[in-house]
Amino acid sequence: MDVHKIDVHKIGIKYFLSSGADVDADTWFRIFNTWIPVTTDEILIDVADYSHVHNGPVTLLVGHNSNYGIDRGEGRLGLLTTRKQPLEGGFEDRFRTCLGGALKACARLENEADLKDRAHFDCSMLQVVLNDRLNAPNTAETLKAVKPGVESALQQIYTGADLSIEHRDTSGSLFALDITVSGDWNIDKLMKNMPISA
Amino acid sequence: MADTLSWKDKLADRIPQHLSEEIEIFETQIELKRQGKIADPVFAETRLRRGVYGQRYDNGKRFDGSRTQPLQYPDADLLKGPDTLWNAPGMQRIKIPFGGLTTEQLEVMADLAEEYSDAIAHITTRQDVQLHYVHIDDTVDLMRRLAAVGITTREACGNSVRNVTACPLAGVCRTESFDITPYSRALAEFLLGHPDAQDFGRKFKIAFSGCEHEACGLANMHDIGAVAVTRVVDGKTERGFKFYVGGGLGAVPHQAKVMEEFLPEEELLPVSQAMGRVFARLGEKKNRARARLKFLIAKVGIDEFRKLVWEERKQLPEDPRWTAYLNDLNVTDETALKQAVKLNGVARPEGFDEWMDTNVYPQRQEGYAVATVTLPLGDITSDQIRGLVSLARKYVNDTVRSTVEQNLVLRWVPEADLPELYAGLEEIGLSESGAGTIVDVVACPGTDTCKLGIASSRGLAGELRTRLAEKGMQLDASVRNLRIKISGCFNSCGQHHVADLGFYGVSRRVENYTVPHFQVVLGGQWTENGGSFGLAMGAVPSKRIPDVVTRITESYIKGREGTESFQDYVRRIGKKQVKDMLEDLTAVPAHSEDPSYYTDWGDSREYTTGDMAKGECAGEVVPMVQFALTGSERMVFEAQVYLDDEEYEQAEDTAWKSMLQAARGLVRTQWLDVPDEPEHILKEFDERFVQTELFHDTFAKDKFAKYIFQAHEERSNTVDRDLAHRRVEEAQLFIEGAFACYGRMGVVA
Repeated sequence: MDVHKIDVHKIGIKYFLSSGADVDADTWFRIFNTWIPVTTDEILIDVADYSHVHNGPVTLLVGHNSNYGIDRGEGRLGLLTTRKQPLEGGFEDRFRTCLGGALKACARLENEADLKDRAHFDCSMLQVVLNDRLNAPNTAETLKAVKPGVESALQQIYTGADLSIEHRDTSGSLFALDITVSGDWNIDKLMKNMPISA
Repeated sequence: MADTLSWKDKLADRIPQHLSEEIEIFETQIELKRQGKIADPVFAETRLRRGVYGQRYDNGKRFDGSRTQPLQYPDADLLKGPDTLWNAPGMQRIKIPFGGLTTEQLEVMADLAEEYSDAIAHITTRQDVQLHYVHIDDTVDLMRRLAAVGITTREACGNSVRNVTACPLAGVCRTESFDITPYSRALAEFLLGHPDAQDFGRKFKIAFSGCEHEACGLANMHDIGAVAVTRVVDGKTERGFKFYVGGGLGAVPHQAKVMEEFLPEEELLPVSQAMGRVFARLGEKKNRARARLKFLIAKVGIDEFRKLVWEERKQLPEDPRWTAYLNDLNVTDETALKQAVKLNGVARPEGFDEWMDTNVYPQRQEGYAVATVTLPLGDITSDQIRGLVSLARKYVNDTVRSTVEQNLVLRWVPEADLPELYAGLEEIGLSESGAGTIVDVVACPGTDTCKLGIASSRGLAGELRTRLAEKGMQLDASVRNLRIKISGCFNSCGQHHVADLGFYGVSRRVENYTVPHFQVVLGGQWTENGGSFGLAMGAVPSKRIPDVVTRITESYIKGREGTESFQDYVRRIGKKQVKDMLEDLTAVPAHSEDPSYYTDWGDSREYTTGDMAKGECAGEVVPMVQFALTGSERMVFEAQVYLDDEEYEQAEDTAWKSMLQAARGLVRTQWLDVPDEPEHILKEFDERFVQTELFHDTFAKDKFAKYIFQAHEERSNTVDRDLAHRRVEEAQLFIEGAFACYGRMGVVA
């Protein structure tokens, strides 16, 4: 696969919660429902409760362009933002757009009145998932194709930080990267570093 | 420019030709819908017959607890399902005949749930798999990926033969007459897309059971319920089926009637086909509420129905498929991966004994067991599916089955491996005990996603599961094995009629508020194939249903006489006493006093039924001829595309075939069995529509009809651009003529 020619839009980004494990599913459900009618820059549709399943989505806000899920995959609670509709530009542009969307949603949750001081994201680590086995198979070639774009976009908002990017080479699973970042970061700081267009 | 890969290309070698063509047709229909070139009811029924289902939320509005907010979509055309946006994400139902899945199919299911849905696969009360929030544009690739592993979504919904269900213990059951798996598979395959099963006024459900007395196939509540029986004739054992017909739940439950005490195995397929014809011909089409087979049988009587079916059976043209499969009944046999070893002396992890008590069934085959994997509310994550696949590959031979109680079963587990299997299930969060007990609450989707839902069946089920699981094994033995089943409305998808404690959603007006309630239905029978239905006892506010369960079960524990069953107890104490017992629970405090009554389980917003819409399950009644004509329109569209691409031979051929399809569709309104050969179709079309002047246009007379005969005469001509162009134009006019003719026949819906 040519490193310049990967065509993937369905990009998922998960930021993990450093606090918020005690927030019950009803609260997430209620908060996401309040987002639906007041959100004007994207189409949000429905909220699904899956709090009864083990290590999976807990509460899912379904949108037309992206889904936002409080997710307990692998037992780690976080906000998983997953793009579903096509995006403009090359991979790096698309990744940057998704990163912007994920951070915006994290910021929105942290600022929710019901969650004030109860839910915070650990910005020193994130997971990137490419939800498209056809265009982004879980291979070294995909890693080669997407890593420069991921690094470049992250270095732009994590200014001066060291990035550690690990590819999960698990057979059958979606292509995923575990990323850790040096330094002290929070959502506000990252949002400020985000280019306006993203 | 990026590389464009496609599942179509990638899986081209793996998808059977007929499935590939069907999916491409659906892809074209989506495009036609997008271009406004397909009638909305036709598209609705078309997508429903592919299992593509609208969800509740997307009716253009969303109530957030304080106000109703319109949702803005890129395409404002209000039609996914009736009154909903057609291109909003919806549900994809995937038929799993007899609930049988291979590990490869499960892996694909996990991938699809992750990539197109919400990483959750849902097992239904009819052994299907459902994926929610799927965008319609993704359904085509989703279908291709399923087709590559031998699964079709065709006729998963709509007015068609739905998933053929069967006892998940078939082949390993201790009480079955014989393994009904190959029969259920054969009938499912035979009726899939069969012309005699396309013109129904409503859905048609079939179930198989290996024996009469267990719940298994729930034969009593299906349009066809086939229960395996044998008889000895001249010293030889013959296989057959006790053949139940006209059963059904829904708002008006009907116990099935026995049409044949012993239907020989070789008659299973032809008699089912004949039934399809009778139902298509005589079944109600206009009044949807009375269009199921049960109403036809109630109207004509079982004796007359039996007569009609056998008369039809005699007229059927012989079909080798009726009996071909009987030569290879072992085709669905499952074998063990490992040798049978008894459990004796093997170390048991904590929790194992409780799980073993409720989730393990010793097989007929010594030393092997069936392990039930309990799925809360029928849900399983993609990661859990993959974990389960690993366990299946380690302990059993590649297959898993879904159950009508929304669980999965692993069969052929050596008993000595059960503790290890349990530990493996525990690692992936699937070791919950209580399968088939009061804790294992079954629920339809209800208000979560179904447009017909009135109350939150899943919300209530989740609440009851949590409360009952806490009590677990401390529950009195007499109530532990009772079953709770919940439907979001009276349509009974949660099968509440055949539960010991059944509930279905209703609402009540209190002051100016709507309050979610559940009607309490007690004493239904799960065994004996869903042998009898429960009695409605009255509506209770949703928030008091857990109290209802406690009160009823405690009353039973205290009041039962000897080994009296729950059904007998309910019947003995009578409806009045039960009503009295529940009376205080029916009160609804004022909103200002306790607003919690005005919300439903699992949904913290104030309750409303404002987002209900016309149900998708009923489908749209579209006569078969209209499908044929719409199909011919699609083909002309494809011919036009070929023409544009300068593929003239393809264009001409497709245009010719489109005319033939339209002509055949018209002929079939008079003669169902018209053969497929062009000569036959043209002869019949000429005699029935041209010579009778039925096809004649007021002004053009037989001009359009001549196009098809001329096209036939010119089949051997060399095709150039001009001929191809003319043929496409003529085909377009011929099909217009066919639609007009159909309209004049006075049968347009």
